[in-house]
Amino acid sequence: MRWSPYTDNGGTCLGVAGEDFVVVAADTRLSQGYSIHTRNCSKVTQLTDKCVIASCGMKSDAITLHKHLKARLVMYEHQHRRQASVTAIAQMLSTTLYYKRFFPYYTFNVLCGVDDEGKGAVYHYDAIGSFERVPFTTSGSGSALVMSVLDAQIDKGNQTIETPTLDKAGIVELAKDVLSSVGERDIHTGDYGEIFLIDAAGVSKTEFDLKLD
Amino acid sequence: MSFLSRSEYDRGVNTFSPEGRLFQVEYAIEAIKLGSTAIGICTKEGVILVVEKRVTSPLVDPSSIEKLLEIDSHMGCAMSGLTADARTLVDHARTEAQGHWFTYNERIPIESNVNAIADLALDFSDSDRKKKTMSRPFGVALLVGGVDPWDGPVLFNTDPSGTFTKYAACAIGSAQEGATSMLQEQYNKDMTLKEAEILALTTLRQVMEEKLSKINIEVGVIPASTARFHTYTAEELDDVISRLPAPTLPTLTSAGTGQ
Repeated sequence: MRWSPYTDNGGTCLGVAGEDFVVVAADTRLSQGYSIHTRNCSKVTQLTDKCVIASCGMKSDAITLHKHLKARLVMYEHQHRRQASVTAIAQMLSTTLYYKRFFPYYTFNVLCGVDDEGKGAVYHYDAIGSFERVPFTTSGSGSALVMSVLDAQIDKGNQTIETPTLDKAGIVELAKDVLSSVGERDIHTGDYGEIFLIDAAGVSKTEFDLKLD
Repeated sequence: MSFLSRSEYDRGVNTFSPEGRLFQVEYAIEAIKLGSTAIGICTKEGVILVVEKRVTSPLVDPSSIEKLLEIDSHMGCAMSGLTADARTLVDHARTEAQGHWFTYNERIPIESNVNAIADLALDFSDSDRKKKTMSRPFGVALLVGGVDPWDGPVLFNTDPSGTFTKYAACAIGSAQEGATSMLQEQYNKDMTLKEAEILALTTLRQVMEEKLSKINIEVGVIPASTARFHTYTAEELDDVISRLPAPTLPTLTSAGTGQ
């Protein structure tokens, strides 16, 4: 087999925007093929007081990308005397990814935060910087499984019976449930889950167990 | 080096005099005092910039004298001194503004842009390393006004030493002193943009040698409501000139002493 500069380290992340908050969830398994390298390796990095990034794909590229973003944001803060807004970081991440258009970072990012208007913001990216602000999204090895549940529970397209929209706690519970369910079918997702809740109070993190097998 | 008399320290742009002065930079600041007057006023409702155009001959087309330039949609600048030098600075400021928009999808903070201008102001040297850059200080001062996405309306003054200062109201050029004292007396931070427009123009009228007309001035405004830089058209200039109160005489002497 030919050597490849890329590998997929698996794992799943998701982000859901609320009116004035955002919920980010990801598992902490780091695997390659059928082996698990680490059971406790976070995919999520806090970038500012109001913004986190979750990256699936290749771990080493994600590490480098997150480190690069953190450095750029420190430079932004020094230059402009305030923290970058989520919208500014969203654009910066896009240009950062596109600058490596012909040897891309093998990362599939979900950028989440609370924007300057105080609204929850979720951005979805491809590996070379195409991005979109969306109400909710997911990426990684279990993303196809997650997306159908989020579509049914949040977007509720084609549903004819009115059901109440989920509140903050409801979305956190949904995120836990959906990651646990993904752990049933996707061998690259499991071990532990992390939930990041960002609202006016800042970023808070909680952890929960997933299946270890 | 004891043979160097004091006046010889003004030859090198990078050489301090024994008293700790950079003569070329000081001379560049002097060059501004020869320039036409420019006035800027910042209010809560926006920023107004006015400049005097010295039309030296009736054969000159006044529209070719441009002393008020847009840097980005939300900011502009007025200049005094060697206006040719200002083009280099404004080009740099424009590049910087678009670079920020490209990377962050937001309008550049005014202070960051002024900082970039000031960085370039001191980027002169006669070393081999950068033959293409300026080998002398820029002989121009700028009044940079704009509506900051976060701080609202702001006004800055930059000079050839690379210093920049935030002002409520500021004047540069040959009548800096007279105009500044008038602004000091009549500015108040709660004035409306319309009042600031009148104050800026009456101040300019007081210090101008020629009769103020739509031909020999330029007026630019950045209202907080739109956050868009706009230079007055001939009709708008006619309108504002017609609204100016009658001048109080004598004009030049009262401006000079700040009475």
